[in-house]
Amino acid sequence: MTTVDGSRRSWLRPTVAILVSAIFFVPLYYVLVNVFKPGDRIAQEPASVPLPPTLTNIHAVLTRPDGLFWVSLANSMLVTLLSIIVLTVLSAMLGHYLARSAKRWTKVLALILLAGLMIPPQVILIPVTEVLRLTGMMATLQGLVLFNVGYYVPFGVFVFTGFIRGVPVELEEAALLDGANRMQVFWRIVFPLLRPATASVLIFLGVWIWNDFIDPLIILGPSQGTTVTTGIYRSIGQYQADLGSVFALMFLATLPVLIFYLALQKQFVKGLTGGATKG
Amino acid sequence: MRRKPILPRVWHFASFGAPGVLIYLCFVMAPILISFGYSLTNHNPFNPPSEFVGFENYKLLFQDEQFLTALWVTTILTVIVVVVPNVLGLGVALLLDRKGWLYNALRSVFFTPVILSSVVVSIIWTKLLDDRGPVNDFLRAIGVDHPPGWLSDPDLALYSVASIVCWQMLGFCVVVYLAGLQGVPAELLEAAEIDGAGPVRRFRAVTWPLLAPSLTINTVVLLISAFKTYDYVKVVTNGGPGSGTTATIAFNVLATGLDANHVGYASAMAVVMLVIVATLTTIVLRFLRLREVDL
Repeated sequence: MTTVDGSRRSWLRPTVAILVSAIFFVPLYYVLVNVFKPGDRIAQEPASVPLPPTLTNIHAVLTRPDGLFWVSLANSMLVTLLSIIVLTVLSAMLGHYLARSAKRWTKVLALILLAGLMIPPQVILIPVTEVLRLTGMMATLQGLVLFNVGYYVPFGVFVFTGFIRGVPVELEEAALLDGANRMQVFWRIVFPLLRPATASVLIFLGVWIWNDFIDPLIILGPSQGTTVTTGIYRSIGQYQADLGSVFALMFLATLPVLIFYLALQKQFVKGLTGGATKG
Repeated sequence: MRRKPILPRVWHFASFGAPGVLIYLCFVMAPILISFGYSLTNHNPFNPPSEFVGFENYKLLFQDEQFLTALWVTTILTVIVVVVPNVLGLGVALLLDRKGWLYNALRSVFFTPVILSSVVVSIIWTKLLDDRGPVNDFLRAIGVDHPPGWLSDPDLALYSVASIVCWQMLGFCVVVYLAGLQGVPAELLEAAEIDGAGPVRRFRAVTWPLLAPSLTINTVVLLISAFKTYDYVKVVTNGGPGSGTTATIAFNVLATGLDANHVGYASAMAVVMLVIVATLTTIVLRFLRLREVDL
């Protein structure tokens, strides 16, 4: 804006914006500086800049004798990757069925799935542990993956159905006439057109499942296997005196998500706002 | 009219729809029914057999001091978490609704907590708000002799936990409102300005009505996540200090069902929780959709 009003106070908005953001940033600053500070200095001067920076805390976490960090990292990677791959495949296909079938019962099915978006995990976790125990999958990574797939499939379907409705049916019919079967048509022609939806689903579910706490805590159980979040939770007790290690562990566990986010920032915001504008 | 043969349609469902639906039914829908079934019994996996007790659990629930406290705790938490990030988020979005690298960078500052695990957020704040933590050190340094026990004072802990949730959710609201603000046509605002409307009037008459879809999505997302609050309570206060001052319903369901093994009773809690979330979400959605305007 080029009004007199705007130019006269042009310093006001950036100043207020920076100030508000700085206050908001304090907790993140607190972690960042203390990751690179020796443990004894954290308690004495929690806010000071870590000069000279030290990698002792990170080194301590990476070389723990029980390998907690590496085991947790491998488990989190495995569970997250498997879950989001299966979720993308299953929810894209289910989304196709819902978008292309106009039967009344499809609408009912869509509603039942939609309801899944608001079901708190606590409502189902107790029976789920019994289902998993019956099938011998309690305290296993595949049990957790299966639960993730069931719990997050509504979100995937919700995103994919909307996008598939935007793909012309004629495209599929033409390919069917040319002799391709439905599977081929879907994976070779429709799915490549759904790239933005796939990106949203992978990003959101990736972050949610990576950060998930309650489900791995209860499904993987107290003794068997940790993901990064449950690993952090379990080690705060023993690390009570060693703040440096706690911060280093949290920093290292967050790094993959942070890199993922920074690399895909645009898609992140698009994915969020795509949902927002559709309501 | 296109006619499709019956076989491909069945095949279409069997191959495209069934796998996802099956897993969903097994891991979400069936467990809900099982929960409801358990809620009518005194089921305890370590003390079988279980007996059918009808609605006895539900009757007990509403005389149970602990559950009523949890209901109250959840209500306060939900109100704070639905209102505060919504209001502050709108403010921050209006503040950052400009182009340029500075505003892009500041948006990232607000969004970062959204992608952090709630466990990580909880631990950061547990350390910050500790009685001898940096926040109270700072307060002492500026002359407050007896800074509050943010997490150890039973009257204060719930508000501290709620603030932590608000801090993490704020960025989400900011991004959704910023997207909404991009959908407000500049011509409309200019027209209003030419007509002599001041900034407040322009906001109330033009911007705010067009932000209705953003308000809807924020409110529903906040409502559902506030009701599910478990991680923060588990990590930050473990339900205390004192008895149940920060224990939400979600927290009590798992404490009763998995730690104390009273599965029947916990299931009744879970069912009540589900009914409340479903009812609230439907009402809020209806109400907010009504005021959404089309351009």
